[in-house]
Amino acid sequence: MEGTFQVLFSILSWTSVMVLVVLGLGVIASMMGIFNFAHGEFMLLGGYTLYLFSVWGLPLWFGIVAAPIVVGIVGMILERTVIHRFYAAPIAAMLGTYALAVIIRETVRSLIDGMYLRVPAPMDGLVVVGNISIAEWRIAVLVISLLVLLGSYLLVNRTNFGLRVRASLENPELARASGISTSQIYAVTFGFGAALAGLAGALMAPLLMFSADMGLKFLIQGFLAVMLGGIGTFEGPALGGAIIGSMASGLPYVLNPILADVLVFVIAIVLVKFRPTGLVSKWRR
Amino acid sequence: MTNLINNYQSNVQLTRRGFLQNAAWMAGAVATGVGSWVFPAKWAHAAGPIKVGIATDLTGPISFAGIPNSRIAKIAIDQINADGGILGRPLEMYLEDTASNEQIAVGVVRKLVQRNRVDVVLGGITSSMRNAIKDVIVGRGRTLYIYPQLYEGRECTPHLFCTGPTPAQQCDDLIPWLIANGGKRFAFPSANYVWPRVLNEYARKSVENNGGEVVYEEYFPLDQVEYGASVKKIMDEKADVVFNTVIPPGLAPFIKQLYEAGFSARGGRLSCVYYDENCLNFNTAAEMEGLASCLDYFQNIEDPFSAELQATYQKKHAHKDNVLFTAGSASTGMYRGIKLWETAVKEAGNVDRESVSAAMDHAKIANGPGGPASIVPGTYHTQMNMYIAVAKDGKYEILDKAEQVHPKECG
Repeated sequence: MEGTFQVLFSILSWTSVMVLVVLGLGVIASMMGIFNFAHGEFMLLGGYTLYLFSVWGLPLWFGIVAAPIVVGIVGMILERTVIHRFYAAPIAAMLGTYALAVIIRETVRSLIDGMYLRVPAPMDGLVVVGNISIAEWRIAVLVISLLVLLGSYLLVNRTNFGLRVRASLENPELARASGISTSQIYAVTFGFGAALAGLAGALMAPLLMFSADMGLKFLIQGFLAVMLGGIGTFEGPALGGAIIGSMASGLPYVLNPILADVLVFVIAIVLVKFRPTGLVSKWRR
Repeated sequence: MTNLINNYQSNVQLTRRGFLQNAAWMAGAVATGVGSWVFPAKWAHAAGPIKVGIATDLTGPISFAGIPNSRIAKIAIDQINADGGILGRPLEMYLEDTASNEQIAVGVVRKLVQRNRVDVVLGGITSSMRNAIKDVIVGRGRTLYIYPQLYEGRECTPHLFCTGPTPAQQCDDLIPWLIANGGKRFAFPSANYVWPRVLNEYARKSVENNGGEVVYEEYFPLDQVEYGASVKKIMDEKADVVFNTVIPPGLAPFIKQLYEAGFSARGGRLSCVYYDENCLNFNTAAEMEGLASCLDYFQNIEDPFSAELQATYQKKHAHKDNVLFTAGSASTGMYRGIKLWETAVKEAGNVDRESVSAAMDHAKIANGPGGPASIVPGTYHTQMNMYIAVAKDGKYEILDKAEQVHPKECG
């Protein structure tokens, strides 16, 4: 019983993190048609923000709040200066964001001397009930991720802002004719996607080893999740993230971890083969 | 927004300052290309300077080890030059950045050997790096090669000398200690590459010969960072000792999850044989409490020579960054390698590879990091003191010392 609970919590905890990572990637891919290769590096910047707060002795919770804000602003600045030039050419956009990724990654690497660092969590206690022992921070990450997921869903689907974003996505010309500044919307949307990555990075940094390569692994799995879930909706990438996250953390319970690592990709690719437009977008059309 | 700009500016200054500070120790160096420097000889000799090639990872993921390697090499070479060089000739150091990338490394090492015509090459951190560059150096390059890192053993190539610890040196003392101070049920969580696989083979024999058993052995992809499943298996198997060969970036998450699951709370003993002072900050003190490591040097061993060497390194570099002089990052093997080679060249009386190799085969130094060291004739490996240290409150406490442990390689 305790064992089952611990397993479920562990899978759920990792899944929630993956959903958060994929959400930002999915928002940008869905709303703007761009695969952001710098997504992992936006996570890195989020983690770096929290790291700086710990070095400067500032309250860590402020760092968690600051990370999405800082990275969101960085994202908006990059969108206005670099990314918006690529909308006409998605392939060039991939290369462009990849170049940004390398610049950010190597800059952070030189700032931290290429070292692996520990970023402290705002809460570092353990909750022990009987034989079950769970870190407080993992519970906090789970709760924050679920709240952010719900908040983002409401923002996109239930608010006036969300309506304008979706309008700009589906028919930019008509949106502009209706008085929506699509360029502004794009900047804010890209910033929002970056902010989600920044938050994910700050939440995860205490659970990982903070280093310049922190975001790399998440980028690949994140892309797979977006493809699996389907581009064009909010729910698609979230669902894709949930599937990839639960497979990645769940399969090693029953399989050799190396096999499990490969199998996550194989299963996802087979699913994409049968649903080329992704799990969710298919249902909508 | 203003804050953001301030942050940004201070970061930019930090980068520039950091860069200048990093460059300062290279005073007198001449850049001869991207990631390539020469430290010219301070005086002239009719026969010209002796050229020492250092090829190590100054950038990329392994730079945490490559940077201190290059620094300690410079310290050793400066010391030798200050004492009048070797055979009256000054040493000239040729430094190349292998960039944690084997393809780049082959190119720069070829340059060292063929264009700069160095008399010896020291460097390489990972086994894959050693394998990539060794033939360029000792095969086609016909040059002596010294590899400084602790590794899985089995490198028995003539003219290639290993000056870091082998599995026997890291296990022979440690495994019985772990059985006595942890228990008989061992778990081997491991990264999936050559070092853990070969080390585990040796460690398993050692565990079984000492009356223990291995109840769990599993290999993970190198970039795995979620270990819920593995930790559960280790807990379910009631392992007493976790003999870890998971490496960064998976290392800290693994140790954290093991701690969270209550492994140490129920009396489990954690062990990891590459753990040095660089690793003390990977996890919280509570998470790594009781971790046992076995290396050829720790900062708090009682050895005046090592203490002085550490002080020299700290004085030159401690104010710049957190890159420490440690054993796990091959820095001790680098210093030892240069000093052993110095005695070999002195004995040989020239820098001809065959005669230096022959002298290197029985080279000895009375003082090195961790104590004296000597090449065991016919084995290309180095005999040295080994220390068992255990983490207490975020520091190492030295609990055991084994004098001049045999490497048990190559015959």
